[in-house]
Amino acid sequence: MLGLVGRKLVYLVPVVLAVTVLTFLVASLLPGDLAVAMLGDQATPENVAALHRKLGLDLPLWQQYLRWLSAVMVGDLGTSHRTGETVIHAIGGRLPVSLELMGLAEACALLIGVPFAVICAARRDSALDRTLSSGAFGMLSMPPYMLAILLVFVFSIRLGLLPSTGYTALSQGLVANMRSLALPAATLGLVEWPVLMRVLRADMIATLREEFIVAAKAKGLPRWRILLVHALKPSSLTLVTVTGLNLGRLLGGAVIIESIFALPGLGRLLVDSIYSRDFIVVQGVVLFIALGFVSVNFAVDMLYALLDPRIRHGRA
Amino acid sequence: MHLAYYVADNLRLHDPAGLARRTLRKPFPAHPARSQGGKDASLIRSRLCGVLIGLLWAISSAGAANAQNRGGVVTAGVEQDIAGFDPLVVGVYDTGQTATAALLFDTLTRIDDEGKVQPRLALSWSSTPNFKKWTFKLRPGVKFHDGTPFNAQAVVFNYERMLDPQNHCRCAFYLNAISNLNAPDDLTVVYHLRYPVVQLPALLSPPVVTNVFHSPKAVKEMGESYNRHPVGTGPFVLKSWQAGDRLVLERNPNYWAAGHPYLDQVVIRPLPNAVTRFASVLSGDVDIVWEDTSDNILKARKNPALRVREYVGSGVSAIVFNTLKPALSDVRVRQALRHAINMRGFAEGVTEGLRKPALDPYGPGSFVRCAEPGALHYDPAKASELLKSYGKPLKLKFMVTAEPRGRAIGQIFQEFWKNVGVAVTLDEVDQTTFVTKSFQRDFEVGGWRIIDLADPGPQMFADFHTGSAVNIAGYSNPEVDRLLEAARATSDEAVRSEDYCKIAQILNKEVPWIWTLQNAYFSIAKAQLMGVHKQYSDVLDVSDAWWEKK
Repeated sequence: MLGLVGRKLVYLVPVVLAVTVLTFLVASLLPGDLAVAMLGDQATPENVAALHRKLGLDLPLWQQYLRWLSAVMVGDLGTSHRTGETVIHAIGGRLPVSLELMGLAEACALLIGVPFAVICAARRDSALDRTLSSGAFGMLSMPPYMLAILLVFVFSIRLGLLPSTGYTALSQGLVANMRSLALPAATLGLVEWPVLMRVLRADMIATLREEFIVAAKAKGLPRWRILLVHALKPSSLTLVTVTGLNLGRLLGGAVIIESIFALPGLGRLLVDSIYSRDFIVVQGVVLFIALGFVSVNFAVDMLYALLDPRIRHGRA
Repeated sequence: MHLAYYVADNLRLHDPAGLARRTLRKPFPAHPARSQGGKDASLIRSRLCGVLIGLLWAISSAGAANAQNRGGVVTAGVEQDIAGFDPLVVGVYDTGQTATAALLFDTLTRIDDEGKVQPRLALSWSSTPNFKKWTFKLRPGVKFHDGTPFNAQAVVFNYERMLDPQNHCRCAFYLNAISNLNAPDDLTVVYHLRYPVVQLPALLSPPVVTNVFHSPKAVKEMGESYNRHPVGTGPFVLKSWQAGDRLVLERNPNYWAAGHPYLDQVVIRPLPNAVTRFASVLSGDVDIVWEDTSDNILKARKNPALRVREYVGSGVSAIVFNTLKPALSDVRVRQALRHAINMRGFAEGVTEGLRKPALDPYGPGSFVRCAEPGALHYDPAKASELLKSYGKPLKLKFMVTAEPRGRAIGQIFQEFWKNVGVAVTLDEVDQTTFVTKSFQRDFEVGGWRIIDLADPGPQMFADFHTGSAVNIAGYSNPEVDRLLEAARATSDEAVRSEDYCKIAQILNKEVPWIWTLQNAYFSIAKAQLMGVHKQYSDVLDVSDAWWEKK
């Protein structure tokens, strides 16, 4: 197992380097000039040139990249010209909100998607299977922002049960915190569960045809035990992959959802920074998200090994 | 002083400055015939008047305090996230920042709901006859939230910090009228100006970045972290700030205006999405929101639980033609482009009639009222005729900001002009590029704006005087130059109004700009929320708000 971790970590190095190059290029290719954004619309060319020199923007792109990378290596992602806040501090303040939102959304998606998938696989082609599958297809077609507005209309305006916007930190009480995240997490989760359900359903149907399942049935094991213990685990590989990849999708969704529900998360920080041409923050946040995505996929790879011994022993 | 008439947003920018007020029929400080010899007497009169008005306000406030309910919390929703308040960091305040600055800070003057300039941190003021030197007497006994005194040195410190070239403050651009300030004593500040500014006291009233005062001690001690820890003299003190979510402000127990404020707490929440911003008021999560979405405003007007406040300012949105470009240097072409536009239809289509077509550059909030501004009307046949006499095929590039609002407006005008045979392509650029290209006159047609200032003088001079750096149309007319110079050298409003109307007539005839819609600002609040000030300069000001029923 340790060997596998080591091998994967070695592969990770070029991936991370590529991520840093792309992140740097993305921010460099954004329209607008950082010096002009900092100095204002009436900055003189001399002042702009002086600031270019001060910030190293007059250097060739590869030199700028190396300067930026060496600062990143020691944890210095720079300072926002818009707020004067360090990027690390800004990310630190916003990260818990996004993590909590994504965690709750993923939990919501799994809580709906997994049981439905098991039921549909167990009763393949039944009326229930068709109904749930059609429902999942319908949910997949629903744009998140429409669902968000629908949920706000029902649960905030009509029923008055949940707040429509804003975030309450966990430190101010669990109930208030959950109430503030209920609608955004439900929006993201309700859009995600159909994917998980369809993937797991297909895998479970295949697993249920395996010989060991026939053997389990022949041994007279209860149906629930066969489904949840013997069939679910080997059927989960694709589910785990999709769940990992979903984090990237969720983060993309969070960019929209955090703005709709006015949540102070990473997605909104990114959007605000792009609109205000705060390139340094854009760079920092994109890098952070990209590294997070790479790390999650690394963790997913490790989970494979735990779920399937053939991968652990290099036989798959 | 905030002369931020240059920053564009292609028909709707965050309005960094300006002053929209209804009328200023009697400018408080100045007198046209005042001679240097009469200055002392005038100064005394002015001071006495200021003190009297201050006393009257204090008395009326104390009386009012008995009538208004005290206590309670107001949660106000603004559109944009708040970056901070240090001028050197943020450069310009947007609508969220001005709404908060109205609570945290004070300005030297204020405009009352009748449009009159009133004392705030300044008790009185006077000017020299040429309006290039203004003296302000400050209110004694005012303290910043950190306990340090507000005095003339603090005023000078704030301005010098913004004006220092070493500080590279974006805000310095908006202070170009100021040569320097000095403080002869603790309670006297003198502004020395580069050119005459007739209504300086009114221009100093909105809580924009260059008009509010920060504690010198806090600025020096906190350094870079000051931006998110502002210390002013205002009626509320910052209690907590969760970036991107909310700022909590508590009543300043030591506020200099006895009995103010009425509320215990104000919470400012950035709500960027228009749909959920409105939903937040409907669901009761928020008590008042800044609003510019016509759909929400029209719905709120039909809801008896809500109250829509509207203020029509003293500026307008506009389209600018670069008259230095060959085709657009021909007045027939510019007139044809104006005749091609159905402005009433445009107003209905874009704002559902909430904003009215503008006939001149002075909105209803301005003291300038033109009976016959001579605006050209929608007449596609006339447009075609003019283009025929021009005789060449016309292709133009219309520069818009690359966002839905800019794009939509661009497409509407594109259609109007296409109908008379003008091929227009949209040049979509980001906001920074938009402004930079405009100032470099590297465009053919672009969106722009006359923002709400108490005095049209500085803005009109900058936009239309020959050789002005921000005359982005490259327009030049000796008669307009003469009228602009005359109008800014007198305080007689009748004379000024006449001059500015003559200017509007010439501009309407020569069409370097097309005025599109009057500036109008809106807020939606729970019906029980009282005491919200007029939305001058698009500032959502709840500093004197109170609850009718708790």
